[in-house]
Amino acid sequence: MSLFCGLVKIKENAEIAPGIYRMMMECPEVAECAVPGQFIHIRCSDTHSPLLRRPISIAMADKSAGLIEIFYRVVGEGTGLLARKEKQDMLDIMGPLGRGFPLQPGLKLPIIVGGGIGMAPLLFLAKSLKENATSSDYCCRESFTGLAFAGFATEMEAFGMSFLEDCGFKVHICTDDGSMGYKGYPTDLLEKYLGGSIFLSSISTGEIAGAAGAPGCPATEAAMLPSAVYACGPEALLKKVKEIVSRAKVPAYLSLEQRMACGVGACLGCAVKSAGSGYLKVCKDGPVFEVNQVILSQETAP
Amino acid sequence: MDERFLNTGWNRYEVERAEKLQRQTDEVVFADISANICGIAMKNPVMVASGTFGFGEEYAGFYDISRLGAIVTKGLTLEPRCGNPPPRVYETPAGMLNSIGLENPGVEEFIRREWPRLCRLGIPVIANIDGDTVDDYYRMARRLSELDGLAAVEANISCPNVEKGGMAFGQYPESAYEAVKAVREGTNLPVIAKLSPNVTDIQKIAEAVVDAGADAVSLINTLQGMAIDIHTKKPLFCRTFAGLSGPAVKPVAVRMVWQVYETVKVPIIGMGGITSWRDAVEFILAGASAISVGTANFVDPFAPLKIISGLRQYMTNQGIKTLNEIIGAAH
Repeated sequence: MSLFCGLVKIKENAEIAPGIYRMMMECPEVAECAVPGQFIHIRCSDTHSPLLRRPISIAMADKSAGLIEIFYRVVGEGTGLLARKEKQDMLDIMGPLGRGFPLQPGLKLPIIVGGGIGMAPLLFLAKSLKENATSSDYCCRESFTGLAFAGFATEMEAFGMSFLEDCGFKVHICTDDGSMGYKGYPTDLLEKYLGGSIFLSSISTGEIAGAAGAPGCPATEAAMLPSAVYACGPEALLKKVKEIVSRAKVPAYLSLEQRMACGVGACLGCAVKSAGSGYLKVCKDGPVFEVNQVILSQETAP
Repeated sequence: MDERFLNTGWNRYEVERAEKLQRQTDEVVFADISANICGIAMKNPVMVASGTFGFGEEYAGFYDISRLGAIVTKGLTLEPRCGNPPPRVYETPAGMLNSIGLENPGVEEFIRREWPRLCRLGIPVIANIDGDTVDDYYRMARRLSELDGLAAVEANISCPNVEKGGMAFGQYPESAYEAVKAVREGTNLPVIAKLSPNVTDIQKIAEAVVDAGADAVSLINTLQGMAIDIHTKKPLFCRTFAGLSGPAVKPVAVRMVWQVYETVKVPIIGMGGITSWRDAVEFILAGASAISVGTANFVDPFAPLKIISGLRQYMTNQGIKTLNEIIGAAH
């Protein structure tokens, strides 16, 4: 295990949407070994306020340039301090931490489902999926990498969509207020798609880049394609994804969030109920879990 | 690169700074910071507090943990415990609340899975034990005595986050006496009693555990606190109350170390909000013969190492030759 902990230089920190920031840091050590789904643990202040580090997903790691990137939403004191950091400032980070998304070989149709700031780790995942795609993959033959259902509160808050398209994803944007794309949740579309009530080709929302080359395959065929769902977002979204994929019997991986202290599995603070006995730790056993490993809150044990 | 800085987990800026400092100080004769707590010889007085360091493995990825004075394990119980439902941690001003609920693999699994690695570290390892009943304390102490190389047993009579046992024992002199007596009867190893700050008179508890045969005392465990979720309008933690730690509790901890030093003759392991060598010195001056780093591990994994070197530097600068010269010197 190669773990970095120390100061890194901020190369960029900009507000890309109201309250949402993108930060790029120079950290060859983390860039070298990070995998999609892993996080860095950031100390936002040099003082005791706030005291604890903040876990934030890695949204991109560029090995050759030695750069890593995160997206964060300003929600409190810690992220508020992060937002005030300037280019060239030094930042105390630890990472890469946790277990990321498994990139299964032979996966024919990856489906990404993200909500809000939860899109961040999925961008890194999308890039890796593209790089790992082989010519025998269904999607590759059809010259696309996979499907992405991305949900945001409103058009203003959407980010990373063109990046996903560049990675070869057919992107379907959903907004709560209907200001862009489908009005509703990304899980609505996932449900329709896996339920076979919509065709791959017909779920175009008009925002899809490369729609001309969109493959048209019958839903039944598409539903039988070996695929996996990768989800990150609010707990309500993850619960819905879990419900849908267990009905459709499609493998899925969820990236979870929990109040966290140490980030390395020592304090046992970030517990999530295990489908087996006891608790798993989001920082060390996760943050990415196979869907059947965990019981999300307010969900009754099977 | 100076090989002393290999595998420290430091980045290039920190290594450069440390190398510069090292060049300046290579010629200096450093103060002796070795410590001895009831026969446990440590190369420095900096330990890590139970429950903040797991069984050491997690932090071994950052640095060579045998550089620590001693390691205290996560609290062990006779049977495995799955701990409390989430949320388990919550940040507070200059501190945090926790309600872990003693999640641990149980004493047998500890012996099977963790001990073989811990016993090879070459530094003292102290097993922290927590019982539901007096008999639990006795049985665990006896079982752990069979381990070859265990340095001591720390009787946790102060965990605020469990249904039975824990803090319930540590809040009254009589029950504190009973629990520690059981540990004493179960083992010939040094016995450390970990005291709760959630008491009216810590001096009475300290006297009781020393009467029961404790060779040393450690304090403080977490201060009982709580948080309320303003959205659900209910207590944030399932068990309503939780334990407060971090810099916020430091003044309370220093006061209690001071009081206990005035009361009993056994060595004190001081802890509670220590994040820097300055804090460590303060505890030592109040009467601690060694100190433990707890919550600070979560913020900065290298905190114990920085405290070790800062303490050595402080003593060297002040012309203090050994720790004994300053233990309790503020009295």
